[in-house]
Amino acid sequence: MYRQGDVLIVPVEEAAVPPSAAALPGQPRDARGRLVLALGEVTGHAHAVLGPGELRRESGQFGRAWLHLPQGGRVVHEEHAAIGLPRGWYRVVRQREYVPGAVRVVAD
Amino acid sequence: MGTGTIRPAGPAEVTARWRAVAAATGPADRAAAERAVRAAYRSAGLAGPGRVLWCASPLAAARAVLELRAQGAVSVREAVRTRPWEQERARLHGHLGAQGWAERWAVTGAELWTQTQGLAGRIRGAVLDTLAPEPARDADRAARAAAGAARATVRLALLDAVLGQHDAPWFAAFDADLDADLDADLDGGAGAGGPLAEAARQVGWWWPYAEVAVVCERPVELHRDEAGRLDRADGPALSWADGFAVHAWRGMPVPADFLAGLADVTPERIRTEENAELRRVLLEHYGYDRYLADSGAEPVHRDGTGVLWRIRLPDDEPVVMVEVVNSTAEPDGTFRTYWLRVPPSTRTARAGVAWTFGVEEAAYRPQRET
Repeated sequence: MYRQGDVLIVPVEEAAVPPSAAALPGQPRDARGRLVLALGEVTGHAHAVLGPGELRRESGQFGRAWLHLPQGGRVVHEEHAAIGLPRGWYRVVRQREYVPGAVRVVAD
Repeated sequence: MGTGTIRPAGPAEVTARWRAVAAATGPADRAAAERAVRAAYRSAGLAGPGRVLWCASPLAAARAVLELRAQGAVSVREAVRTRPWEQERARLHGHLGAQGWAERWAVTGAELWTQTQGLAGRIRGAVLDTLAPEPARDADRAARAAAGAARATVRLALLDAVLGQHDAPWFAAFDADLDADLDADLDGGAGAGGPLAEAARQVGWWWPYAEVAVVCERPVELHRDEAGRLDRADGPALSWADGFAVHAWRGMPVPADFLAGLADVTPERIRTEENAELRRVLLEHYGYDRYLADSGAEPVHRDGTGVLWRIRLPDDEPVVMVEVVNSTAEPDGTFRTYWLRVPPSTRTARAGVAWTFGVEEAAYRPQRET
């Protein structure tokens, strides 16, 4: 598994990707052609993947997300070093924080 | 989408554009806004409002609307907003199919929905609490009934509003740039080229009544954190030109005078704060590191992922936190340390960090961290 700031990228077997994920729409690439895993609302900084592939994400703040990189790729961020990712399927997890009675996402 | 169609903008770009509309602040181009509002009436087959009443904030607008409703003003929201909305949705639904529409929504409107809904809900709540406060805890039955009736009246007035900039998720989904092969319905309707969208680019909420349109300026200030939540420690997170304001810290509503007292918070003040949510704000503002030092907290556990801390609080669950050091150096060469609160049952630092990502302690082994 790979961690870039508040995002964890966990390799998974293709067989472990639920069929429901395949039915999800592929997330569109941004204006710079990147797949954005997580976006900082204010700075516009993003954890983003360069290279061919697909991101499928359930809706909602805590929806699960799967990343398919048929040829591998690189995840970049304005404030973190880039990480090379081998080809394959990944689960993408956004960091969360415990709040008594609730849980909230973390934004770095 | 036909093959070979040139698409001027993809869904990510369109969504980014409407994200900016939802967060826009500052005065409207009033002439453009009034043109759009009148055009929206016309495309609904109405003569248009005799006058446009500008208000500085949703609070001022709601007051005006309550007065208009008391005088018998008739809302035309159904014709001006709801019907064109349904038509546009049906049109796209027919064009894209049920699954196509669901996919369109997932990559456009759904991306903006949580933020704008949260914002609209917060504004509604603030207007409601100002105009018709909750009854006091010791209020008698008659006072409760009166307060309940007053709140219902305000709620109904708020239901007549068109959300303007906060309808951005819908306009993102309806944006004609995504359907270059479908005739853009520029004359009316809810398409992103239509008058409702043009009004949304200019103003906040507005209320279409038969004789008069009540139009509210956008906020003058909007402060959010990276996750898009309302967030400001030294003033209102959201405010309008007339002073109507919403105070929040990392998305949590706080009273205005509470923020004023943040500057001189002491560990004693934190310990004795009875409201757990406010205590969390105090703690975060004071700084976990300072509080840990000042309260003599002991690290509970230490491993390769960081340090686990525990602070006992009277009559409350303990605050358990993992202290983590960023793997990437800051521009000045230092490494930023940060604290994340984890469930009180956490026993090791690794278990804490693993929990923040929803994985088991034993499974949490990053090969690379930056």
